[in-house]
Amino acid sequence: MTDVVRLDAVSKIYGRGQGAVAALREVSVGIPRGTFTAVMGPSGSGKSTFLHCAAGLDVPSSGSVRLGDTELARMNETALTELRRQRVGFVFQSFNLVSALTVIENITLPLRLAGVKADHSWLAEIVRRVGLEGRAGHRPAQLSGGQQQRVAIARALVTRPEVVFGDEPTGALDTMTARDVLTLLREVVSSLGQTVVMVTHDPVAASYADTVLFLADGRIVDSMAAPTADKVAERMTRLGAWK
Amino acid sequence: MISFAIRTLRHRKAGFAGAFVALLCAAALVTACGMLLETGLRGEVAPERYAGAPVIVAGDRFDRQTTRDEDGDVKTKAKPLSERRWIPASIAAELRRAPGVEKVVTEVTFPVGDALGHGWESAALTPFTLARGRAPRSDDEVVVDANFAGTTLQAGERAYRVIGVTAQALPSQDTVFFTTREARRLAGRQGMVSAIGVFPSLGGQVKGAIAYTGDERGAVEFLGAERSRTMLVSLGGALGGTSLLVAVLVVVGTLALSVQQRQRELAMLRAIAATPRQIRKLLGGEALLVSAAAGVLGSGAGILLGLGLRSRFVALGAMPANLQLVVSPFPLLAAVAATVGAAWAAALVSARRTARIRPVEALGEAALQGGGLPRARVVAGVLALAAGVTLTVLVSNLTTEAASSPVTMLTALVWTIAIALLGPVIARVVTALPLRAPGAGGFLSAANLRANTKRMAAVITPLSLLIAMTCTILFVQTTMGNAAREQAAAGVKADHVLGSGISAAAVRELPGVLAATEVLRTSVRIDLDRYGAQAVTTEGLDRTMDLGVVSGSLQKLDERSVAVSTTAADRLGVAVGSPLALTLGDGTPVRLTVAAVYGRGLGFGDLTLSHALVAGHVDDPHGSVLVAGGDRATLERFGARLPVEASGSNPAVTYVAMGLIVAFCAIAVVNTLAMSTAARTRELALLRLVGTTKRQVLRMLRMESLAAVLVSTVLGSAVALVTLTAFSMGMTGSATPSVPPLTYLAVIAAAATLALLATSIPARFALSRPPAEAIGARE
Repeated sequence: MTDVVRLDAVSKIYGRGQGAVAALREVSVGIPRGTFTAVMGPSGSGKSTFLHCAAGLDVPSSGSVRLGDTELARMNETALTELRRQRVGFVFQSFNLVSALTVIENITLPLRLAGVKADHSWLAEIVRRVGLEGRAGHRPAQLSGGQQQRVAIARALVTRPEVVFGDEPTGALDTMTARDVLTLLREVVSSLGQTVVMVTHDPVAASYADTVLFLADGRIVDSMAAPTADKVAERMTRLGAWK
Repeated sequence: MISFAIRTLRHRKAGFAGAFVALLCAAALVTACGMLLETGLRGEVAPERYAGAPVIVAGDRFDRQTTRDEDGDVKTKAKPLSERRWIPASIAAELRRAPGVEKVVTEVTFPVGDALGHGWESAALTPFTLARGRAPRSDDEVVVDANFAGTTLQAGERAYRVIGVTAQALPSQDTVFFTTREARRLAGRQGMVSAIGVFPSLGGQVKGAIAYTGDERGAVEFLGAERSRTMLVSLGGALGGTSLLVAVLVVVGTLALSVQQRQRELAMLRAIAATPRQIRKLLGGEALLVSAAAGVLGSGAGILLGLGLRSRFVALGAMPANLQLVVSPFPLLAAVAATVGAAWAAALVSARRTARIRPVEALGEAALQGGGLPRARVVAGVLALAAGVTLTVLVSNLTTEAASSPVTMLTALVWTIAIALLGPVIARVVTALPLRAPGAGGFLSAANLRANTKRMAAVITPLSLLIAMTCTILFVQTTMGNAAREQAAAGVKADHVLGSGISAAAVRELPGVLAATEVLRTSVRIDLDRYGAQAVTTEGLDRTMDLGVVSGSLQKLDERSVAVSTTAADRLGVAVGSPLALTLGDGTPVRLTVAAVYGRGLGFGDLTLSHALVAGHVDDPHGSVLVAGGDRATLERFGARLPVEASGSNPAVTYVAMGLIVAFCAIAVVNTLAMSTAARTRELALLRLVGTTKRQVLRMLRMESLAAVLVSTVLGSAVALVTLTAFSMGMTGSATPSVPPLTYLAVIAAAATLALLATSIPARFALSRPPAEAIGARE
């Protein structure tokens, strides 16, 4: 399997001199194509920084980040934006949607910003898969939290990105709705072959992934294949200072 | 991006309503000012009295000065004269020989009470025809117009019999015809005429005069129109410029607030796909749409405003009723272009930060309010402060009202711009003070102000602007009025003032009269600059007025000399004994010697000339008579009044015009407060959910508004005080502006009331929804 995203010795340091804080220290990892990866770690372990660097939302202080064959570390802001809208999808915890736009307009927003025409059969397929048929004309305010996250997932998929990043995509949802959204993400990986990387602090959410990466104090300290919620939870209690 | 912008606009109507209203008002103001300006530049007055003569030959209406600069280019500047320029009657004889001329009619014009007197030979200029009676044959007979009622007419010391009545009457003047000989005698200018009518056409140039045709004849007839046109140009320019600057300031504020309120959404757009350029385009597109709509509607409203202003000015006597408003598409186009430009610039300014920020920072910052002030803003703020200081120094050196008034407004505005730019810094400093009101509401409001200094800064700007502008506008007038009144009160020693139509010589004969001084008001030009002047008879002058002579003596004032106020002497660089060349009101150049310099220029005018010199060069040689001593009862038969008031420009006109700016600022205050309160629906609902009562929430908001009012009062008053002190130093020489305390308190109270209403009404509206429902609503 080839790696879609490849981080080599990536460090991210905030601040300067005495006040400098290292959020990532020499992290090296590859995300294979068509897999579902969960990134776990306690607060302050560097999970969000990891996601931002891997997704081209932030530039690492040193090291290399590659998306496919493209080196991200030295791109400027506009080039990164263009890369994100063509090759990366995002699902945030909340405030994912533009309230002025309808469901279908929100989904096609990246295409519109890129000035690309929507592929109608693909669009219909995504809308069907995320279960939003019949709601295309609704506005975000008329949808439940779970439905809003589905719209966000559909938007993340619409450009056929190489990788979809989720930043606590179920963090603001109740357990029932969270389960539906996770099942959807799992299915996107299994049946569409999409690569998904998700940051979470919920062992149950992590158990939907193929692989779980554990971060502590800015380093990847462990990884776990075929995770279950219990095993993940058990591993989490021994991370960082508690090991 | 435009279609996206349209969607956002539709969805966020409330968020853009503020900017829309501000832009609408700006467009209306700019249109109205544009109409005044254009009327001033191109407005024409249709002739009435001269309507029947195809060509009117009259004196040049302008004082012209030709200068040659270093490159050898010749430049001619022209300024309108304040009095009619008479021409030699001999020109009529030359005109009779000119090609195309069949008939020539000479005309003299002089005041007869409130009417204008002429000789009957010039009736054809209108033309006037007899309806009843006959033309005057003897010197005690007159023909009156159709409006006149009565059988006799008193002019000066003589009585005249009405012998004929014309079929016509003019809309804006009453007319009386004497015999040609009597008219010339009454006009009192040997061998001169005020105009010559030529029928049916005139070929070639006229030496020593100018031939006027069409509506130019109206300009000859109504000299006052020229003055009000100049007034309209300067007023329209100053008002339009000020309102445009205020508009930019207000719109930048409202747009920044609306951008700030959806920072999260913009950050998300940045993260998923939008380049900084696209965000700028989106915000610019929104601003473009809002401003285009506001510009079109506002310029329509501006036409109504312009018509309204015109009728106010006519009612106040600042503009002749027959000066028609010029209505053309130019002011409308200018207003739309100005609003769109202002909004676009404002959007770029407010989008700058949002667009350039990294999405990760943006995602974080949206939740966490704050971050430092961008360096560019600090630099701009410091530059504005420097400009404020420079302008303040400049104002303190300006000694003419025409120059000082607009610069004073600009100074107040620039100081406020500095406050707007450095607002967040000011807000942070102020909120760091350990002050808070008692109770839960007080605790919450102090915490809110501290946590969200940007919101406070956004509110402070329009409030400070309102207070600073209102105080400056009001107290510039009181400062001027007070200084002039004080000088006049100190300087007038006479016990009574008699109206026009009576000579000082006659008054001196009355029992008990110690002295009588005839006073004429006129204006003269020195190097084309206009100076207010009074002309006085010198006999017994020291018993009727005290000009506060600093050097020289008024006793020596005669037809070859002039007295100058200290401010004018400084400006002109003259002292007692210096020669001074000036142009009298009717364009006659004279060379005089400075006989005295006096201190009370504001109360009496910058120049004092001898009555004998000026009387022959003004349209109305009947001034007022200051009388010292004398018997009250006897004098009252001649219409005596107690001496009060002095000269000065019409403050009502300034109040009307500048009142619009104040109203605009007030709208901006309401706008900003309503927007910032309405955006807090969710926060207020949360407070309700955790057990804050409605009363406590409202109290909290009131406290916040009052804190903003307090800060703005300090800032706005400081701006006004600095500006007014500079103005006062320049104009009156004293560093203490006159600020009536009650008026000042009323201004502050009005601003506070406005701020409280603009907070509590939207807050009550926000609180009227059940909190559980409101908290779930979108932001």
